[in-house]
Amino acid sequence: MIREWTSFFVAVFSLIYIYELSLFASGAKENALALMRNPGIITFNVLALLFTLYHASTWFYLIGKVQPIKLGKMTSKPWQALLLNIVLLLIISYTVIQILILR
Amino acid sequence: MGGFIAAFLLPVLIYLVGIAYPLGLWPVANGDPTSAILNHHHIGTLFLFVTVAGSLYHGIFRFQSTLTEIGLARAKRALEAIGYLIIIIGILATAIYLLQYNPSFFSIP
Repeated sequence: MIREWTSFFVAVFSLIYIYELSLFASGAKENALALMRNPGIITFNVLALLFTLYHASTWFYLIGKVQPIKLGKMTSKPWQALLLNIVLLLIISYTVIQILILR
Repeated sequence: MGGFIAAFLLPVLIYLVGIAYPLGLWPVANGDPTSAILNHHHIGTLFLFVTVAGSLYHGIFRFQSTLTEIGLARAKRALEAIGYLIIIIGILATAIYLLQYNPSFFSIP
C-alpha cells in the first residue's frame, strides 16, 4: 500500500514544479526561487525523494520477479535486477548532472 | 513509460531543484538548477519536459486508481475524468511554459 501512495508525492511534486516553471516563463524568477527555498517545500521535497526512491527500488525488484532473465541454466534473481537497476539509476543521475549542470 | 521516467529521471530532478539548491549542496551551490538546465537549450528543455510530463502522468494515473481501490470505486468515472483533465492541462502547460522560456526550441541548433 505504501508503494501506491508514492504516486501522490510524484504527482504533487510535478504540479509544484509546473507552477515554478510558470513563474520562470513569466519572468518572476525570484518568486520561483523563493518558493524553492520555502522550508515546507524543502520538507515535502525530501519526503518526495524518499518515496520516489522507494517506488523505484520496489519497481526494480518487481521487474526481476516478473521478467527473470535466463542465461543458460541460470535464471536471474529479483535482487540482481534490483542491484543492476540501482547502478543504472546512479549512472543516469550522474550523467544528467554532468551534462546539464557541471558542463 | 511514466513509471520508467519516475523511477530513473525524477529522483535527480527532485534532488537538484528541491534539495540541493535550497540547502546549498553539490552540485548546485552557486546557482539555480532550473536556469542551468534550461541554458542547455534543446537537451535541457527536452529533459524537463519528458521528466515532468512523464512523472505527472504516472503520479496522477496511479493516484486516481489508488483512490478507487481504497473505497472510492463508486466515483471511478469522475476520478478518471478529473485525473485525465489534470494530466492533459499539466502536460500542455509544461510545454507552453518551456516554449515561452526557450521560444527558439524548434529551430535547428
